[in-house]
Amino acid sequence: VSGSTSRGRAVRIGAAVGGVVVLLAVPDLVRLSDLLGLRPFAHGLTIGIAAVGLNILLRHTELVSFGHAAFFGAGGYTTAIVSTYLGVDSFFLMLVLGVLIATVLAMVIGALSLRHTGLYFSLLTLAFGMLLFALVQGNDSFFNGTDGLFVRPGGGVTRPDLLGISLDPVAYDAVTFYVAVGVAVVGLLVMYRIVRSPFGNALDAIGQDRTRARFIGLPVKRYVWGAFVISGVYCGAAGALWGLYSQSVDPATTLYFLVSGDILYSAILGGFGTLVGPLVGGVVFFVFRDLAVITEYDSAVMGTLLIALVYFFPRGIVGSLKDLVARGVGTDPPEPPEPTEGAEAAEAAEGP
Amino acid sequence: MVVELESILRPMLNGLQSGFRLFLIASGLTIVLGILDVLNLAHGELYAVGAYVSTTVLGYVLGLFAAPAAGAGLGIQVAFVLAMVLAMLVAAAVLIPLGAVVEAVFLRRIYERNEVYQLVLTFALLLVLNDLLLFGWGPTKVQVEAVASVANGFPVVETLLGFQYPTYQLLYIVVGAVVAAGLFYFFDRTKTGRIIRATAINREMATAIGVDTDRTFTLVFALGAFFAGFAGALYMPQAGAQLGMGASALVLSFVVIVIGGVGSLKGAFVAAIAVGLTTNMLSATPTILDLSNTGIPWNSLVTAAPYMLMIVVLLVRPEGLYGTWGETS
Repeated sequence: VSGSTSRGRAVRIGAAVGGVVVLLAVPDLVRLSDLLGLRPFAHGLTIGIAAVGLNILLRHTELVSFGHAAFFGAGGYTTAIVSTYLGVDSFFLMLVLGVLIATVLAMVIGALSLRHTGLYFSLLTLAFGMLLFALVQGNDSFFNGTDGLFVRPGGGVTRPDLLGISLDPVAYDAVTFYVAVGVAVVGLLVMYRIVRSPFGNALDAIGQDRTRARFIGLPVKRYVWGAFVISGVYCGAAGALWGLYSQSVDPATTLYFLVSGDILYSAILGGFGTLVGPLVGGVVFFVFRDLAVITEYDSAVMGTLLIALVYFFPRGIVGSLKDLVARGVGTDPPEPPEPTEGAEAAEAAEGP
Repeated sequence: MVVELESILRPMLNGLQSGFRLFLIASGLTIVLGILDVLNLAHGELYAVGAYVSTTVLGYVLGLFAAPAAGAGLGIQVAFVLAMVLAMLVAAAVLIPLGAVVEAVFLRRIYERNEVYQLVLTFALLLVLNDLLLFGWGPTKVQVEAVASVANGFPVVETLLGFQYPTYQLLYIVVGAVVAAGLFYFFDRTKTGRIIRATAINREMATAIGVDTDRTFTLVFALGAFFAGFAGALYMPQAGAQLGMGASALVLSFVVIVIGGVGSLKGAFVAAIAVGLTTNMLSATPTILDLSNTGIPWNSLVTAAPYMLMIVVLLVRPEGLYGTWGETS
């Protein structure tokens, strides 16, 4: 291992630890000023977790899903339904059930959507997402239509319990946020293992050339389906966490196709060629948007940011930072591939 | 059980109208997708731009006249028709250059890049256009009803069939049909239309025989923008213009172009009418057959029906009803 590479790794580990510390400090930091609340951070963090999941499809199998709001919404709505109708009051039980339902849904939608690739895959995922949205929004008696549901045990006024402890509102928000940070860290570590496993390498091969991948004996359909389900698990966890944090879910902010867009654009903004990019993208996207609300024209601000992304930093925030660090550290040419970080370094060398 | 003629004809006419509206919007989206190979997420906003622009033009022009009293002279009626035509012309004057600029300035630079960036860029344009509308016309719904109410002053359906139905909606169907016929004529019979089709079928060959593809692309995009805007301008007197109208029009256009076959104009036409009729007839079914109390979630079914159709088509016959227009699907 050369000196410059170990320095590169030190930078990476430092950035990771720093990122976690900053995230954990957020609930305290936001109290210092009225400019920002905790909510946009929590929203961005959960969408970011979903984007990390989506990225396994986007980065490795090169499939663009425009319907992952279905799984985000399924996670969120599960927390609302089991608490409102079944009287479940345990935070972690709701989270697990949310993930479970989203996973089952991803198994079904994945099996059907993956009969196509390219544009038709995107449109199929979009159609399934919108189908779910329409069914939920049009139903007043069970899903409460456009207004959505509260995540309150038994339809009461109390918040979900954390390991049997009932918390006051401020503490509840903060603890939920910490749990989300924990889920994000675990999610990233798991994803790190997945994309570096033989399975992850196979996905890369499939993304580059499906026919060739099939010829060398890879079970293409089963592997891509596996990746789809994994992305559904992440989105389900993210949606459940968002339901638990905001204590309410409605179709427009969890199931509408624009939410699928939020997840997709967070991944690209953060850098879909990187592991942590989507998470960073989610937080930046939502915090930035929350700040831009002051201008009343937050959509235009976000639109301009995305236009700038397309023309000036197409590799996203983390991708571009990596380029800068690589140049600063003086690895020239960029880091040589080595066993543990082969995929990323190779991509850094090739560009998007 | 006696089913009245009205209870069937009314949703049928509504369905036809929404079918023609959908066709006008989706035609541009499908042609742009077929030829430029770009899924333009900002397409719905162009529809909204048309609606908003027409509120201003109509509001201004009609402000010059007094509100039409009942039984007002023919002069006023003619003035209203002229105002509507003027609104269409202004919508064209705004949307054709807007479409041309979007294609030539923004899209042209990314045709060669990963398709993901097309989705990012057109979504970014959606956001920016949406806020331009917010900036120009404010967050509340705007509507200039006068044109519709003047048209409704001639109760055509009531005279012919004996039940009340807004004449403006009939007018929409007629205008929609004329424009649709014009579009088909343009692509089948005119030289420019044939050049566009040739470009769709084989871009390289078209270039080889001297077609300027850059210009063709810009023209196609501007045309698509105009028809979306036209649909919006025509719909405004009836339903008003509001933020978010673009997004819902966009997803329904996806449904239409998928069912019809990506890039196929004929397919888009058949699919648009089919989607319009299906949703409207379905939402009228509980009344017609007296099924409202059977516990069937009609609301959900009506809004979900287009997506179910889309999914079935994608799974069973992904090339759509009429297949793709060329090789550039």
